[in-house]
Amino acid sequence: MKNNKILITINNLEDIDKLKELGITKYVFPLKGFCVGIPNTFLISEIPCDGYIFINRILDNKGIDDLREILHNMPENIKGIIFDDLGIMELIKDLDIEKILYLSHFNTNSKSVNIYLDMVDSVILSTDITKEEIEVIIKNAKKGITLFTLGYTGVMYSRRLLIDNYSKFYNIEKENPLVIDNTGHKFIVYENDYGTYFYHNKIFNGLELMELDAKYYFVNSVFMNMDDIIKMLNKEDTEIDSDKGFLYTETIYKLKGGSND
Amino acid sequence: MTELLAPAGDLERLKMALLYGADAVYVGGRDYSLRANAKNFSIEELNEACEFAHNLGKKVYVTVNIVFHDKNLLNLKEYLQKLKEINVDAVIVSDIVGVKLAKEVGLDIILSTQASTLNYEAVNFWKNLGVTRIVLGREATREDIIRIKEETGVELECFIHGAMCTSISGKCVLSNYCTNRDSNRGGCAQICRWVFENKDKPDFTFMSKDLNMVEYLEDMINMGVNSFKVEGRMRSVYYIATVIMCYRKMIDGILNKTLTEEDKIYYSKILDRVANRDTKPQFYNKFPGVNESYFSDRVEISNQDFLGIVMDYDKNNKMITLEQRNYFKVGDVVEFIGPNMETFTYTISTIKNEDGDDIDIARHPKMIVKLPIDTEVEKYSMMRIKVFDKKCVL
Repeated sequence: MKNNKILITINNLEDIDKLKELGITKYVFPLKGFCVGIPNTFLISEIPCDGYIFINRILDNKGIDDLREILHNMPENIKGIIFDDLGIMELIKDLDIEKILYLSHFNTNSKSVNIYLDMVDSVILSTDITKEEIEVIIKNAKKGITLFTLGYTGVMYSRRLLIDNYSKFYNIEKENPLVIDNTGHKFIVYENDYGTYFYHNKIFNGLELMELDAKYYFVNSVFMNMDDIIKMLNKEDTEIDSDKGFLYTETIYKLKGGSND
Repeated sequence: MTELLAPAGDLERLKMALLYGADAVYVGGRDYSLRANAKNFSIEELNEACEFAHNLGKKVYVTVNIVFHDKNLLNLKEYLQKLKEINVDAVIVSDIVGVKLAKEVGLDIILSTQASTLNYEAVNFWKNLGVTRIVLGREATREDIIRIKEETGVELECFIHGAMCTSISGKCVLSNYCTNRDSNRGGCAQICRWVFENKDKPDFTFMSKDLNMVEYLEDMINMGVNSFKVEGRMRSVYYIATVIMCYRKMIDGILNKTLTEEDKIYYSKILDRVANRDTKPQFYNKFPGVNESYFSDRVEISNQDFLGIVMDYDKNNKMITLEQRNYFKVGDVVEFIGPNMETFTYTISTIKNEDGDDIDIARHPKMIVKLPIDTEVEKYSMMRIKVFDKKCVL
């Protein structure tokens, strides 16, 4: 196992000891006020050990201003940052921390990845590409790649407060998160002040990606029990409903018979 | 610069958009464009589009805004070189590799809204890479736009009319999971308009109403927004002509200080009528809530106001030749709209078929008919049902 290369998001500080026992030492802390789709987030001052901060919000101007303040006063235990908004790239140019770009559904080709690798230390590839495509990118990349390996995958991010609106419209008690279903297409929907985030309702199990030569393997623990994650990492049997995402199923670029064939 | 920017899914729409008042159009090529199911343009058609637009002193922007997978990159640079050779005015891209290659071939670069740009530092990031204009995310508020303009000085393009993604653009792959079609490579199946079950609770829906910025157009012009973008490369020629003509007249009225409240109400009524969805300013003036979204039981009613398009005017016989688009009959009160004329009302007295025989009803789609009209009507003018009288809308 390459547990020393696992980057794992933390929901509960008590999980850290369990992870240490497995040799997992790279912890990712969703930063309070700068994340969507994550119920448990942390202030910088609440991060108890060496770790990375995680920011997946698309920021407005105020968000950028607020983050600038935080980044310029960071304690030494913050070793890295994982982020989506490209405005953050301008804020961290001169910071001596590890920089990992997670552009959600972008970073799906070698050339874009290499352009970004001139600016950051690693990028997390999109989960919308196949294992074969991942292998090509790893082969061509000028630095080590980070692979989303395990956890719920984000499928939609709205700035709107969709659950709040729904509850108000129907005058029903607000339930957050929701699990919604259209003929078997199920999604977990979670809202906070910064928007509404949808996850595919099946856990992405890409543990076979750990056979590939990556810099890090990213595990997203949101809405998961750490004991289940540990079992999956140890390849023990679990009741977890998981799938392989698009690792072996290429998405359709153009419909055959479409008007632009 | 105050540019009115129109969508065009094909050459006919492009010509209509430009003739009805757009300063520029954005179109997709057959490859690399996010509206994969629009007809889109071949290189030859793009060439014709550029010649047509440039002869009018107007511009053509080509969308190259998919998120590329490695195999999509094979001929991208050659394609961009061809776009440069035929003198397209800029390309609209979202993926950084598109920015790099477009810069290498010397094309002007507009950053697509797919890049989810909502703050001044993100704008600075792209500006430093050579992007000349940014299409801001539709979530940008008035204050966001003002500050971004002040801090960066970059040309800003903002949507003013049309459909909204519920998601931040570029941040949705619902189609990938529900249909296996890649949202970020032109396969969006509009899953945000599906109805989802939520256990024993009411169905969960999350579709947004459309965007309409009539009320804030003057404000946006004053704050220095450069390009005013209408959504809808899949929309009809009538929709595009009508929406563009309304915004053209309003922008001109604002710039020459003649736009009245009565005008705004009149154009708003027309804009509401031409679409079949409700519209709101969305994020611009307040945070969108319940009233900016649709819930269940929304009914879309097809608009049948568009009756025909003028193909020719015979000055000697004072007859127009019209291609029918919706049912009309003798006695109907209609109006003609056109690029270079004042809208006028007309009561249909006679309809002749192609053989010159009198008929009472034009009922067949695209049938050619002739109508006697004293006023000269230009080719590409349109006949529609008369719905509003400007003086009666207040």
